[in-house]
Amino acid sequence: MQNIEAGQIEENILLPMLERSISFLKEDMHISVTSNNLEVVCPNQVELKKNTAMIGTGGSIQVIITMSYDDELLDKLVEAFLEGEEVPEDEKDEVKESVSSEIVNTIVGNSLTNPLDGTTLSITPPILIYEAKSLFKHKSSKIATATIKTEFGDMLLTVIGPKESFADTLNFKEL
Amino acid sequence: MLNILVVDDSLIIRKNIRKYITSLGHNVVGEAQSGAQAIDACKKLKPDLITMDITMPDMDGITAVKNIREFDKDVNIIMVTSHGQEEMIVSSLKAGAKGYILKPVSEEKLAKSIATIYDKEVAQDDDDLIDD
Repeated sequence: MQNIEAGQIEENILLPMLERSISFLKEDMHISVTSNNLEVVCPNQVELKKNTAMIGTGGSIQVIITMSYDDELLDKLVEAFLEGEEVPEDEKDEVKESVSSEIVNTIVGNSLTNPLDGTTLSITPPILIYEAKSLFKHKSSKIATATIKTEFGDMLLTVIGPKESFADTLNFKEL
Repeated sequence: MLNILVVDDSLIIRKNIRKYITSLGHNVVGEAQSGAQAIDACKKLKPDLITMDITMPDMDGITAVKNIREFDKDVNIIMVTSHGQEEMIVSSLKAGAKGYILKPVSEEKLAKSIATIYDKEVAQDDDDLIDD
């Protein structure tokens, strides 16, 4: 397994994902992106929203990628996916979770190649996190985030690594 | 009209592909949520065409295609995936898929992919007639 540095997480993983997320929102979902300041930051702590889906990369670079949405934005994304189709009441939660998972799968799959040798990175099936959560940077971990502001609220992208340092609940594991 | 099996672990993708298939005048014979379910459904339902997701829990789409090819050489399979990399496309085609749709899926992409496979088959049939 190759080691990836914090700078590479920003430049080679988060930035391509940020660009694809913006084009996905604008061109595929027809949602306006309102922020002009699309800044990538490497904080010591990040607050995930309650609507969060995460995916892991496999192969030579192993990181965890999360996408969090404000409620109204996720509702609009669900509407866009459904293209006017009505959903029975008992299916609504499952559809919402499915949309949240599908967006992270599509954006990550569309945008990532291994920055170190150009090979494909495999991705795991998405996992949902059902509660707002604080992630703290530990000594050996790296966190990079970017927020996209839209007319319906924010979408927060986060890349954290190395993947083996975190459980599926995103809790840090001492190795 | 084609009988089509839809394989994807995502509910929203199954719903949308079902909608596009119906709108294109074809029939959805069944749905499966994993590679293993797809193999069983293919044996039981004998579809003309399968739309197959690649990233699924339990068994991925490429492994499922390899398994299906062991007992069914004829069913056409279109891979549906978010991976745009050539490596993934080549692996899918080597496993026995006939086509490839990059997510997000749209009715237009699905129609084009189906047409590409079946136009090729018509051309092949015409060639066979000429050869005869």
